[in-house]
Amino acid sequence: MAGYTIPTKFPTTIVGSYPKMPQAEEAIKRRKSGEIGEEEFLELVKPAVREVVNDYLWAGVDIISDGEQARDDMVVYFAERLKGYGRGDWVRVFDNVYFKKPIVTGKVEWLRPMILDHWEYATSINMGRPVKAIITGPYTMVEWSFDIHYGDRRELVLDLARVIRRELEELVRRGAKYVQVDEPALSTRPWREDAELLKEALDIVFKGLDAKRIVHICFGRLERVMPYILDYPVDQFDLEMKNSNFRLLPYLKEYGYNKELGFGVVDVHTHQVESVKEIEEAIDKLMKMDIVGPEKTYIKPDCGLKRQQRETARLKLKNMVEAAKKAREKW
Amino acid sequence: MRVWASTLGGFARSRLVRRVLRDYELGLMSYGDVEKVLLEASSAVIGVQVASGLAYVNDGMLDWHDIFRPFVESWRNVTPTGLLRFFDNNFFYRIPRFTGLPEPSRLVWAPRVRKFAPIAEPSGFKVVLPGPVTFALMSSNESGYSLEELSEAIAKLLAGEARAAVEAGASMVQIDEPTLADPEASRDSAVLAAELSSRIASASGPAKTLLALYFDVPRADVYEELLNSKVQCLSLDLIDAPERALKLLASKGFGGHCAVLGLVNSRAVHDDPIDRLSSIAEEALKDYGGEEAGLTTSTWLDLIPYDYSVRKARILGLLAEKLAYSRAWELVWRAG
Repeated sequence: MAGYTIPTKFPTTIVGSYPKMPQAEEAIKRRKSGEIGEEEFLELVKPAVREVVNDYLWAGVDIISDGEQARDDMVVYFAERLKGYGRGDWVRVFDNVYFKKPIVTGKVEWLRPMILDHWEYATSINMGRPVKAIITGPYTMVEWSFDIHYGDRRELVLDLARVIRRELEELVRRGAKYVQVDEPALSTRPWREDAELLKEALDIVFKGLDAKRIVHICFGRLERVMPYILDYPVDQFDLEMKNSNFRLLPYLKEYGYNKELGFGVVDVHTHQVESVKEIEEAIDKLMKMDIVGPEKTYIKPDCGLKRQQRETARLKLKNMVEAAKKAREKW
Repeated sequence: MRVWASTLGGFARSRLVRRVLRDYELGLMSYGDVEKVLLEASSAVIGVQVASGLAYVNDGMLDWHDIFRPFVESWRNVTPTGLLRFFDNNFFYRIPRFTGLPEPSRLVWAPRVRKFAPIAEPSGFKVVLPGPVTFALMSSNESGYSLEELSEAIAKLLAGEARAAVEAGASMVQIDEPTLADPEASRDSAVLAAELSSRIASASGPAKTLLALYFDVPRADVYEELLNSKVQCLSLDLIDAPERALKLLASKGFGGHCAVLGLVNSRAVHDDPIDRLSSIAEEALKDYGGEEAGLTTSTWLDLIPYDYSVRKARILGLLAEKLAYSRAWELVWRAG
């Protein structure tokens, strides 16, 4: 990227989502009520994207995102913009927090770009930093939807993979250098057949795509499928580590992990801001295990920061960037 | 053979319940006002179950944030902490953290039973307990005691819950041990679960007792140990992996327990194909010699939207009627 050089060691990045800005909240509400259309909606969310990008720049994050400000939910947002999905209903995620779980009612098809507009906007105000293009993966879309049309999970996953491929092609054509597919659902069904199904889907999504290909997976028992995912057609696995106390590291070591690693050092489920020292220690832990070197390690939060207060998210990122800087001197 | 039906557990929350719980959390509503709404909403889900012909009904556990929470909040030396995914669902529970052996501050079920059991008539009222082994395994154990000791302490409190609930009028005590259906569950855990569920069963007096296994099919060696439990009934999820479940039943049966079949898919919203489920049930009960069998949902009904949880209860009732009728017809035919 012109004007900005990504550090060769421990580049810092984010997983994608960021606390929702009031402008975005308001725009989502107005679009849901039918008061505004898609075009006006996207325009109204842009000031929120700007705020997020400013926070990333303030914290010093190297590879940023649009903060997913337009997305009320990682599945619902796409379901509302694809052919084949019907309106869903509220299902609990935790405590008294819900999401509107969509329902597949017909053959899924891509209609128009879904994340391009805000990716382009973030790219225009990024001070040269690369902006990741981030999209929910086909496996997670299926797992977190209801299906009353296909009745065949594999067929639906692969159809959605084609849809996502279409979206990413558009982004790469416009210059995206980092494309990330979020597949948090894999760790919820950590079975060999599911891991193999996702591999088949990622082959469709990523094959021949001229960009850094990343898959993000978080929480759950990923160690169960570790042997079956390491040959996924990706350059980088972006993994949650901090929340599970780095439990996955010995497994990465055991299986001879050799791709780039998105290393989660910030817990997104706690409001406590990790100290610089705490994050440095996490990086030290990884380095001492000699799994991947500093050049292949991307320092980032476990997952999206959307459930944090904005100020907490800012401070978490600031400390993360500071710790990465210190680690560069050390390793 | 008598066929009865009962949903496995909690219902989804209606829009009104979601709203009042949110308002309460935001300090906009008193707990007294929330309780009034919960009483009405629980009565509604009880009514749905009774009207669907279910023999044992529950109050929907509408105020439970997860299966452990009401107990965690009613015991000392344990607190709810960070979120962790609940099995393979897009749902997270708060990990209980034990800093000592738990001690009871108050009972969870008995007051509810007194409130709701009279509403449930003519159906029996069921209480649901998290199994002590699942509870301990899914917690953070900082108690200084072993997992086995912690499980035993939990079981002791749960036995107290069961005893008080039955005294208050509960007709069935269900003990949920979903971790034992996990392929990685150990045989040792199964031995412990069989022993501890037996203790809860013996505290349950005249109530029917059920050990519920769901989200997957237990390994044969684990299941074999669970068959030693002194509970009366045993339920299996026959929908997540029907072939494996039927294979397990063909080789191990129900070990003298009353068979309870998890047939209605409570993690999907499509209408269950009654004919297909009937044939799975017939297959599962082929060599079963018990006098009664239960039908249930594959898991709780709180992983789907409210409307569908209501519909699934009705489907379960329909399935039970169909199966009971076909069995009765078979007996008439044989007698003739």
